[in-house]
Order: sequence, then C-alpha cells, then structure tokens
Amino acid sequence: MKRSLLAATGLAAVAALVLAGCSTEPAPEGDITITYSNFISNGGNEENLATIVEAFEAENPGVTVDVTTLPYADYFTALQTDLAAGTLSDVVDTNYDFFPQLAAAGALAPIEVSNAGAYRESLIDAYSVDGVSYGLPSSFSTVVLYYNADLFDQAGLEYPTADWTWADEQAAAEAITALGDGIWGSHQPVSFYEYYKVLEQNGESFLNADGTAVAFNTPGGIEAAEWLVNKSGTVMPTIEQGQGTPDFDTNLFVEGKLGMLHTGIWVFGAVADVPFAWDIAVEPGNTQQASAVFSNAVGVSANSEHVEAATAFAEFLTSSQTMVDVRLDAGWELPPISDEEQLAVYLTKDKPANRQAVFDSLDGIALTPIVATGQQEMQDIINEELIEAQAGRKSVADALASAEERINAVIGG
Amino acid sequence: MSVSTLQTSLVDRAAVEPSRPARPRSTRKGIRYAITVLAFLLPSAVPLLLFVLIPMVSAAWISLTDWNLISPQVFVGFDNFVQLLSEPRTAAVFGNTLYYILGYLPIVYLGGLALALALNQALKGRALWRSIYFLPVVTSWIAVAVVWRWLLNPSNGVVNIALGWFGIDGPGWWTDPAWSMPSVILASAWKDLGFVMVILLAGLQAINADLYDAAKVDGAGPWARFINVTLPMLSPSTFFVIVISLINGFQVFDQVYAMTGGGPAGSSQVVVQQIYDLTFRYGQAGEASALSWMLFAVILAVTVVQIIGQKRWVHYG
Amino acid sequence: MADRQLTVSRPTRSSAPALGSIVLHAVVILGALAMLFPFFWTFITSISPGAGFSIEPRLWPENPSFEAYATLFTERPFARVVGNSLLLAVITTVVQLFTSATAAYAFSRLPFRGRGVVFAVYLATMMIPLQVLIVPLFVQVKNLGLINTYLGALLPTFASAFGICLLRQAINQVPRELDEAATLDGAGHGRIFWQIIVPNIRPALATLTIFAFMGSWNSFLWPLIVLRSPELQTLPIALAGLQGQYTTAWDVVMAGSVVSVLPILAIYLFAQKYVIQGVASSGIK
Repeated sequence: MKRSLLAATGLAAVAALVLAGCSTEPAPEGDITITYSNFISNGGNEENLATIVEAFEAENPGVTVDVTTLPYADYFTALQTDLAAGTLSDVVDTNYDFFPQLAAAGALAPIEVSNAGAYRESLIDAYSVDGVSYGLPSSFSTVVLYYNADLFDQAGLEYPTADWTWADEQAAAEAITALGDGIWGSHQPVSFYEYYKVLEQNGESFLNADGTAVAFNTPGGIEAAEWLVNKSGTVMPTIEQGQGTPDFDTNLFVEGKLGMLHTGIWVFGAVADVPFAWDIAVEPGNTQQASAVFSNAVGVSANSEHVEAATAFAEFLTSSQTMVDVRLDAGWELPPISDEEQLAVYLTKDKPANRQAVFDSLDGIALTPIVATGQQEMQDIINEELIEAQAGRKSVADALASAEERINAVIGG
Repeated sequence: MSVSTLQTSLVDRAAVEPSRPARPRSTRKGIRYAITVLAFLLPSAVPLLLFVLIPMVSAAWISLTDWNLISPQVFVGFDNFVQLLSEPRTAAVFGNTLYYILGYLPIVYLGGLALALALNQALKGRALWRSIYFLPVVTSWIAVAVVWRWLLNPSNGVVNIALGWFGIDGPGWWTDPAWSMPSVILASAWKDLGFVMVILLAGLQAINADLYDAAKVDGAGPWARFINVTLPMLSPSTFFVIVISLINGFQVFDQVYAMTGGGPAGSSQVVVQQIYDLTFRYGQAGEASALSWMLFAVILAVTVVQIIGQKRWVHYG
Repeated sequence: MADRQLTVSRPTRSSAPALGSIVLHAVVILGALAMLFPFFWTFITSISPGAGFSIEPRLWPENPSFEAYATLFTERPFARVVGNSLLLAVITTVVQLFTSATAAYAFSRLPFRGRGVVFAVYLATMMIPLQVLIVPLFVQVKNLGLINTYLGALLPTFASAFGICLLRQAINQVPRELDEAATLDGAGHGRIFWQIIVPNIRPALATLTIFAFMGSWNSFLWPLIVLRSPELQTLPIALAGLQGQYTTAWDVVMAGSVVSVLPILAIYLFAQKYVIQGVASSGIK
C-alpha cells in the first residue's frame, strides 16, 4: 500500500509539473511576446524593472515582455550557453567588457536608433562598431572618492576637492591613519579595474594603441601600480586583515574607521544613514584626472523574430521618461541620458551633498581596455600579479614584467 | 546488512551468480525474459543515455574543435590535447587536485571512522550528535563558503583568534598560496565528515554481534577485536567510501569556486575549476572538453586499479 | 526502541570504564560544537543588520534583528522558490528511488550477456564533470523543446549511477533463498522485486532518499541554465541572486542559507530513524 501511495504522489506531482511547465499559453493572434534576459534588476531592483516593463506594455498594446532575471555572477555563463544553443532572448543585457565579443560574433542585430540625441554621447558611442549601434546603454555609474568629514576634522585636514592629486590624498591618508584606534586613511582595491584607471591618472595606458600588447610596463606604469599596492599596510588594511573580502571597504567606512574610500556611486544607499558627516569628491589624479565609468547596455538578438518590437523595448528601457523617473527615484544607478536638466533632480536628491562630483568626474574618463580575445584571462592575470605584489611575494616591477609576458601571450595569439 | 558497499557490485560476477535461477532457454521464454530485463533497465537507461551519454559524445566532438561557444566550431583534430600536454598549467591543476585528495581523504576517512565508532556507543543523545555531525553534509557551498572565508580570515577570523588563545600564530589561510589548499581541505572535511560517518555507521551496525562474542571468548581485548573483527568487517564500507571519495575528489569544484576561485596565484586551481574557466570565462570550450576527457581517463584508471586491488584487502562478509 | 535493541548487543560498551565514557562524551560534544560553529556564525550574521566581514568580529550582534528573514519572505519570493525546490526535490527523489532500484535489481538478479559492460558504462557516467556537459545537455533539452520547463530541469536527474551502485550492493546482500522460495510459489520478477527486495533494502532506500533529495535541493548550475521564468526558479539560484553586481546584503544572504538548511534537516531526521529501524528489524544477516 505504501507503494501505491508513492506511485500516486509521483503521478500527481508529474501532472502538476507538466501543467506548470506548459503555463505559457499561446498568445492571441496578432499579439507577440518578446523575451528579455537581465542582470541589472537582480539584487533589489526587480520591482523597478517591472514598473518600466508595465509602462512599455501599456504603451504598446499586443506586446508582452517576458523577463528573466539572473544573478550578475552567473549571468554570462547562462548567456554563453544560450549563444551556443541558439536560444538567445530577444533582448539581452551586457556590460561594457562583454559587448565586443557579442558584437564580433554577430549575435546582435544593428539598431537604428530613433533618438540618438537622447543618450549621453560617450555612452552610446561605446556600444557602436564602425558607427553602427549594436547596443543601447541602459545605465552608468562612476567611481568617486568618499570621505569621512568627521575624521578629516579630527585630523585637522581640509576636505578633498576636485583639484586634489595623489600627493594630497597620500598626505591626508597618512594623517588620518596616524589617528590610530584602528582607523585607516584610504582604501582602494588592488585590481584590474583600479589599475587601468590609475594608469590614465598617471598619463599612461594599459594597452598599446592598437590593443595588441600591453603598455603598462614602463616607469610610469610601475609608479601607478605602486600607488595602489603601497597603500596596503600603510594607509589601508592588508589582505590578511580582510582587505579584498566582499564589501569589506564599505563596512569599514560605515563603521567610521576609514577616512577615504574609492568606490562607485552604487554604495550611496549603504552609506546614507551613517552617524557621521560624509561627502564625495572627484578622484584625485596624478598628472591628469581620470575616472572609471561602468555602464551596462542592452542588445537585440540577431536571430530575434521580433526585431522591431525588441528594438522598441530596448529603446524604451534605455531612454523613456518612465525609465528616467524610476531610476532617479530609486537611486538605481544613473540613466544614460544627455538631458542635464532632467538629471538636475538627482543633484539635490539626498546625501551626499556634492553630487555634482558624479558628473564632474565624467570630464576625464578612463575606459576599460578591451582586447579582441582573452579579455577575462587578461583581467585574471593582472589581478593575480598585482595581488602577488600587494602580498609582498613579488616586487611591483617583477609582477608587472610577468604580467606583461603572460598577457601578451594570451591576447597576441 | 551494510547499507552501502560497492564491493560485490564490482566483484567478479561468478562469485555471485551460481545460485541464480537458470536462464530461460526457449525462444519465447527468451523474448519474455528480454522484455523483463528491459523493463527493469529502461527507466534508468533512457535518462542516462539521453542526458549523460549523448552529451558525453557531443563533448568528445567539442574536444576536437576550437570553439568559444559563440562563433562557429572549427575542427582542429587533437590540437587541444597536444596544447594541454605542452602547458605547464595542466600539470599544475592535476597536481593541485591530487594535493586536495591526499589531504582530504585521510582526514575524512579517519575522522569519519572515529566518529562512527564513537557514535555507535551508548552515548546520551546519540541521535542528536549524529544529526549535528551530519548537518554540514546537507548544506550548500553557496552559503557555506562565505562563512568559511570569514572564519578563516588571517588576522580577525575566529579560527586564528582561537589559535591565538593557545599562543599559536595562525597562518594566512586562503590569502597565502601555501595555505589556500589546506583552507579548502579544512572546510571540505568539515562538510563531508558526516557523509563518511553515516556510511561507516551503517557498516558497523551490519557487523554480526556474534563475531565479537566469539572473539571475546578467545580472549581478545578491545584493540584486538577492533583490528581482527571491526576493520575487516568494515572493509566493504571503507572500499565504497574510498571509491566514491576519489571519484568526487577528482571533480572537486564548488568549494574551490566559492572559497578561493583558484587563487591566490593559481595555488588552488583544480582541474574542474580550470574546465569551468576555460569554457565560460576564457572562451576555450574545446580545450576545456579535452581536459575533461583527460580527467575522465584518470578517474577511470584510478577506479579500475581500486577494483582490481580490492581483492587483496576487502573482506566479503 | 529499535535504537536500544541495537546498543544492548554492542560489546564495546560494557568494557568501557566510566572515565573513558566521560572522555568520550566530552570529545563528542566538543566536536559537535566545532561542527555547529559555522552555523552559529551564519545565524549571527543573519540577525546583524548591515553585517559583512568585520574588522572586529563579535559573538553576538549589538542590535540583533530578524528583519532579514522578513525581507526574504516579503520583498523576495522565497516562499515560492522554496516551494519550487521542494517540488523538484520530491519528484527527483521518488523517481530516482524507482529507477535506481529497478536498475539495481537487473544488475543483481537478471543476468544477461554484456551486463558487465553495461554496468561499467553506468559507472562511467559518474566520472565526467557536469561543467563540461552543460552546453551539450542544454542543446539536447532544447531539441526536446523543454527549456524553461520543470520537466527539462528534472529529466537529467532521473537516473543516478551513485544510487544504482548503492542499491545494487544492498540487493546483493538480500539472500537469494528468499527469491527462490518466492519463485517456487510462482512469483515473477515483478512480484519478487516489490514484495521481497524492496522491503528488505529499506535502509539503503532511506540513505538514497537523503542523497537524492540533497542533490536536487542544492543543485545550482543546471537549474540556473535551464529554468528562466522567475516563477520557476529554485532556492540556490535565489540565494545566489541575493549577491548583487556591486553590493550585497549579507544578513539577507545568511538568512537565506539558514532557511535553505531547514527542510533538508527535516528529511534527514525522518530518514535517519528509518535507517536505524530498518537495520534493526530487517532480520536478515
């Protein structure tokens, strides 16, 4: 009797799952469904994305958008599986790093942008190849210098300004570290994403002009790497003390134990309620100012059966008024639009006071270096070598020499 | 009876079969018998064929091509294998995997055996202790790995703070290339100890109590009984644990991916992590497939050697 | 009660002196505390709002709060993903028990030409990592039109070489005299399987129940790839989804892991009783 019970449960369960699996009913005639795979809404903005999608559906009767949301860390694994199997969604998210591979493989349809002027020029240009758009920027964030004003007061220092250079930061960081009591001066990750930026800040660059070899193994490049690496253990905790673990830097800042923090504007929310005064400034450069800009974009699948509707959705998602309102209201990164007036509301919204620094940092942008093949391997190698130097297992010069050799072998062949 | 031993599953069938019912001879009976066999085998054979064996054949084809998952596949023959054999990192990832197995297996086997022996005694709240030791087995690495990173943080992780109480200067754990693999082994041992315990407990409970009584009559002390009764009678369970642990150990991935990502400086890069990176991060699915087949060959060889070797030490109760 | 029967006949107990017993208890308890500590830490983190890796770890949070758990079930669809995971795990377990037991019966009791080779092929399916099969498997499931369906997620889990090994061994240990007696009574293989074999391998079935359920409950890569609609997603994907592109609420992640362990613990406690009962009462030695 136990067996028949088991069998019955099994049958009922199978029936239930078959029903569940077939829940997508055939659409009424004339109506179309487009699919959208995203990571941008993952981790708290799912409802905000739903609001934008509903507005699009209301404006476009007969078009339904099926949204799939995946964790950022695994999104590209799923995306590549889809590419391999030919099951790409009609509209897909990408970041700046992965976009060239998508475009080069012919996976994306060219987009005739109806309102190119609505987008910030540098952003829309980043997703075009030979003047043709293959993606539309959906948002951007910049990296700025956060500072704990109370600690600056305590150390008797002037607050950071857009005119600061590395030397100013260094002096302030040392003074704040000297306050003792577990307080550190300045935190900056030791990684690819920081290194290519500090190279620009020092007038150097990561790759040579045609992107076939690295160009960082120079005196200026070594100086830039030392700027990052030497913070560790002097004005910043070491790896052994936890530096580099997820969200370590933000927590340290929130706990009031960090004078300056190099990170993106995405932590405004996490820092908003701290019990001390804080603000932001444009990141200091050495010979010139350069700030990192991270952007995401959407593309339309070249194999989509509904390119027109998919393109309309992609445009709505990246330039509609609804999108602008939702993003600014939720503090969900920044809309990629060119209209500064619309962004004015952002400037006065909430802490920090100096939100103008977010836009000022765009005056000098360090773009992520992109290679035709071996992008991820290149990033892994430079991360690994910089950390070897940070941990003191290699000299900075040795680490960069080794990185140069290894990366050139990967991106050259 | 023992819950789980691979032993007789793998033993020469001749040892098992003399007492089986004679095989039907006539054609009609033969067909009916064949249908019976199929009825019992097909429920498992169909899913295995469709969802493991056919994909394995596809993977074998991929190993002969140059493919980044996005662009069209290009046939390159055995280039991927040649390339892998010429790269020092291939030996490195197999070496790291071997390091993991050699560190992990003795700890979980001896620890699991000690636990099984202890929890086979008349202890107060025995079921509770068993459950506690089994608890880590059922957790997912996605959740556990982060906690282990925190616990094993060199300067303010709880483990090093505790070591400090005894005057021990704790190591750099996953931040140090020399200690990243021990960190992974430690966390893995914590998670899998309960698995080994459960298998060995079942084996212990299957041992006929008469054997102990007979040994006692012969004047054997506790230690002699352990050596002469427990260990031999437990050998089928031991064999099962070792075979399964080796098959799984060569394919270690989740904890490495989540705890160290293979670092620092590639010091904990294991074979499957390399396969994953090659496929989904470095755009070299062909080389990844070739590496998988090399791994397959190693696991197969190791398993066959064990099956042949078991006759020397596994006692069939 | 079954428990007691077992321990009575254990010879080591009576010979253990009281001091040894105390030491044994102490070691077992200390070990258990060590095993529990990571869970304790997970729990502590889950009730520490804004938690993360801290420069000064605390054994108890300053302002404990259960809001992370509320977040999971109100702002996040955790009730639904737990339900999805349960459904998949239950089906996988039931089907795997069936396919493993029938295959194990064939490999133990139904000799046929080439059986050794077939069994070796079954074993070999354990030796290739899933990571390399993912793409071909996905293509296969796509060709069957099963992407984004529960059936697509389930089918590859329906047979397990591990389960077949486990059960085949158990069946091999069931005395053949029992089958032969039944054959004399006119029983066919179907009846022998259900009435003789299955009741006699209950402990092994219970063990497989735990592992099959656990395998499905914690499986990540395949459900991630094959299930796309939010309403189909499973617990591990939702857990991973708590970690964002830039920032992560660790208290919520840890609350999610606490929640993820509970159902499987219940399964274990249930099955554990069964394992011991089965061993004690099977009467076949």
